[in-house]
Amino acid sequence: MNWPVLPILLPLLTAVVTLFWWRPGVARRWFVAAAAAAQLAVAAWLVSRTFAGHTFVLGLGAWPAKLGIVLVVDLLSAIMLSLSTLIALATVLYGHAETALRVEHPLRTPLTQFLIMGINLTFCTGDLFNLFVAFEVMLIASYALLTLEADDWDIQHAFPYVAINLFGSALFLCACGLSYMTFGTLNFAEIAMRAGVLGDDIRVQLLALLFIAVFGIKAGLFPLYYWLPNSYPTLPHPTAALFAGMLTKVGVYVLLRVFATVLPHDLTFAHTLLAWMAGATMLLAVIGAISRNFIRGILSFHILSQIGYMVLAIGFFTPLSLAACILYVVHHIVVKASLFLIGGVAMRLNRTDNLDRMGNLWKHTPWLGVLFLFQALSLAGLPPLSGFWGKYLIVVVGVEQHQYWLVGASLLASILTLFSMLKIWNGAFWAPSDAPVEKAGRRWQGMTAVVAGLTCISLAIGLGAEAVVQIATQAAEHVLDQQGYAQTVLSYLGTNAGGALP
Amino acid sequence: MQLETALLVGVMFTVATYLVLQHSFVRILFGFLILTNAANLVVLAMSGRPDGKHAPVVLDPSAPMVDPLPQALILTAIVIGFGVAAYLVFLLYRLFLDQKTTNAAELYQEAE
Repeated sequence: MNWPVLPILLPLLTAVVTLFWWRPGVARRWFVAAAAAAQLAVAAWLVSRTFAGHTFVLGLGAWPAKLGIVLVVDLLSAIMLSLSTLIALATVLYGHAETALRVEHPLRTPLTQFLIMGINLTFCTGDLFNLFVAFEVMLIASYALLTLEADDWDIQHAFPYVAINLFGSALFLCACGLSYMTFGTLNFAEIAMRAGVLGDDIRVQLLALLFIAVFGIKAGLFPLYYWLPNSYPTLPHPTAALFAGMLTKVGVYVLLRVFATVLPHDLTFAHTLLAWMAGATMLLAVIGAISRNFIRGILSFHILSQIGYMVLAIGFFTPLSLAACILYVVHHIVVKASLFLIGGVAMRLNRTDNLDRMGNLWKHTPWLGVLFLFQALSLAGLPPLSGFWGKYLIVVVGVEQHQYWLVGASLLASILTLFSMLKIWNGAFWAPSDAPVEKAGRRWQGMTAVVAGLTCISLAIGLGAEAVVQIATQAAEHVLDQQGYAQTVLSYLGTNAGGALP
Repeated sequence: MQLETALLVGVMFTVATYLVLQHSFVRILFGFLILTNAANLVVLAMSGRPDGKHAPVVLDPSAPMVDPLPQALILTAIVIGFGVAAYLVFLLYRLFLDQKTTNAAELYQEAE
């Protein structure tokens, strides 16, 4: 059973079927929800098997590693797959609850499934050019989703998104070409072995810097994040939750994979650069969040500031800090998606997104306020909620490495994050206001139910943090273990290969 | 990598960046097209010097051949670039239809 191809094949089949099954209907919605649940089940099974120590390798077409494309699913890939399928399922159910059948756009479902296919392919691939192709699939689906039902005002903000990502794609293509020239191969395992021989060579360092530029554009690091804060607020809430939860974390995953599994571990200049860019991102993005006045705007800037934490952990580059990064990614994907969905419910109740004109939600829907409080305090880092453990581990590693300025910056960013969350809390929930609250219809209850599900998962991560830390530590060990990775990939193809050798 | 190709790629990136920062939509579009071509040229140059080697077709098994893998990569990249360029044309056209202008500076003047 070729397990690694299922996370890519299932969304592709769902997308093709919904392209032919064009008319929106209840049966079509059940099909999509069932497909999303099946994807989540496959991902959960992959997590359980990779946690037990088995790494899945699939050589497509049985070509040897130097020539063909390999799909590799280890524990980190399986964790990311389970998160992406979880958020996909949540946004699918939320979208069904939010949009009436007669106004649903039939293209939204296939485009979302193509996006998920691109995201899953990024997590499963073991080849650098295949990573480029996966990025492009994901990006083009995101371009289309960004402009799908956008009005005249929102379309303006799609253009910088496309432009900056096109530059990123061109740079990634150059990086792939230069990697091929330097290492003679594009397979992660082979590059790891050959780069290990080269060590701290100037060519490897230049490639590392080029990768930082490309993946920094994708993840949203400091000078390169201009495309995010203006374009994400234009999206409808379920799509915004999917983008916010997954797309930037793909950049973080690729940074982890390339710097830990592919490139040699002694590139200290690149790691230091990552850490300082991340520090700048944390502070500047949270200041940007405080400057905004509408919920989606504040939350979009928060994505960037939390990305700063994750990349800071990568920059410190010790096994504990990589485990902290993985733990933080797990926490953040769930929390950020649920915060966007809560913003969606609040917008439906108050008919607006703008904090000046919202209010009274605590009086009318206290449960929504409780959910928001859990997630907002988790984002800010209050113990024992899930955000605290990731930040605590990052601070511990930072103090061990004597990077006191960066640790101070991260604590300051936490306080400012709390401040901007209180801005939403006051504006929408707590402060007295005369904004109207429309509770007609049962749609908002379905939407709140999905949010409650995500919040329960987030609470489980926080209260069961020991288990998650163990999983994250094991995933970090797998990622750092270049010898084991290379051996698994190359030995698999050695026994079963039938293709021609050069 | 051949020196001439490297210089050409440098010139193309410069031209592409200059064009993308212009006001007119048409020039921005041309800039992106030259950008994707420059990136594809970098990958093509990774095939190595073509002196004394055959195209990657096996006519004479003993003669040396240019490395065919970068050429396969470029095919994929060209197709992807073509798709994105088509999308970009429509995006710029939609912006023109909404705002009645093809001047990018005017368009983003009063944005935050």
